[in-house]
Amino acid sequence: MGLATLCLFSLAAVGQVLAGQLTVQSPRLSVIGKDASIVRSEPISLAAVNKAAPVHLDSTETLKLAFTVVAKDKDPNVESKNVQPHQTFVRFYEKLSGEEGVVPVRVTQNGKAKFELNLARPPAALPPTPLVQNKTNPLSVSLLLGSYSHSPFKLELFDLYLPPSQPAPEHPDEKTFHPQPEIQHTFRPAEKLPNRVISGVGALLVAGGPWILLLGLLSHITISLPYATSISILPFTLSLAAFEGLLVWYWADLKLGEVLAYGAILGLITAVTGKTALSKRGAWRVQGAQRK
Amino acid sequence: MAPPKSSAATTKTATPAPAEAPKAAVNALESLWKAYYETTSSRLKLIDAFLVFLMVSGIIQFVYCVLVTNFPFNAFLAGFGSCVGQFVLTASLRSQVNPDNRNEFKDISPERAFADFALGSIVLHFFVYNFLG
Repeated sequence: MGLATLCLFSLAAVGQVLAGQLTVQSPRLSVIGKDASIVRSEPISLAAVNKAAPVHLDSTETLKLAFTVVAKDKDPNVESKNVQPHQTFVRFYEKLSGEEGVVPVRVTQNGKAKFELNLARPPAALPPTPLVQNKTNPLSVSLLLGSYSHSPFKLELFDLYLPPSQPAPEHPDEKTFHPQPEIQHTFRPAEKLPNRVISGVGALLVAGGPWILLLGLLSHITISLPYATSISILPFTLSLAAFEGLLVWYWADLKLGEVLAYGAILGLITAVTGKTALSKRGAWRVQGAQRK
Repeated sequence: MAPPKSSAATTKTATPAPAEAPKAAVNALESLWKAYYETTSSRLKLIDAFLVFLMVSGIIQFVYCVLVTNFPFNAFLAGFGSCVGQFVLTASLRSQVNPDNRNEFKDISPERAFADFALGSIVLHFFVYNFLG
């Protein structure tokens, strides 16, 4: 999809080149003083080597530009026509700070254009010219023409020295676009294991102590297991022991899926053996009760 | 939670004089123990011994956790939880198996109670091993 649109645009661009090349005819620069006296008035050359001398503008003076926009055909025999381009801009650019401003120029249907810079009412797009080491930096002024159906045109006009102004206002978020102070974070110290002796004694107490108590209690009880090794009961006991073994194996080695699979198989076996064992046991219990 | 231990009632002595109060208490405990020992079947005493074993095991683990360290905490939870869970399962087995409670558990035979106990224990052990780490 992207490749297709790219091809389409390049075709359209090729189509534009065929339509003509924009350019200006008889561009003129004038600087008018405060009592309508002409301080400076001269034509502007289209050749880059004949760039106009820098213009120094007072707060009382007015800068005027006048030119006619024409479209030159590729064929030199065809006369160029006056056109009204889609975009006409005067660009002010200060190289050192990078500030720039673009002011649109109104062009009539006949291609005639007039631009006026009156410092009593400066355009909002005019870049600031603050005092830097007791002098202001020049703004390079250029003319930009753009059109959908013609090739574009750019002309560097002159350097403009304006009276000093306030510096550009600082954006409220400016501070956040510079490196911030590094964040210091103290992590919780790693948990320590207690002394080996203490934990060893604790382990012995927990593991061994209750067993000693249990064995002591059991010694007082006379336990009779008459049916423990009976053929109906023993498989059930063994499958319960196998379950415990499976769980210890799971703790040491197995994964969850495996233990669930083995557990399911063992569960089926245990269910079968358990049913036989417990039903037999129930039958014996009932027999014993009946005999009593 | 303790099931009805025996039908033999423990006789209480008449209000004693203050100096003889501890002795009367000791006498009461002795007669309670004697009644328990004589009237409880050995199978129930076996289960009771297991219950005492679980209780002591849980208490020792808890005391160790409080006094020494609770790191790693999951191990303590697994151990203590296994004691408590097994105690609950065994206590319910005891109450369901006790012949004196036959009226309470009419449709649960002792064998069914044991099967429930076995299944519950296996599931409990599975979760404890998962948590042990």
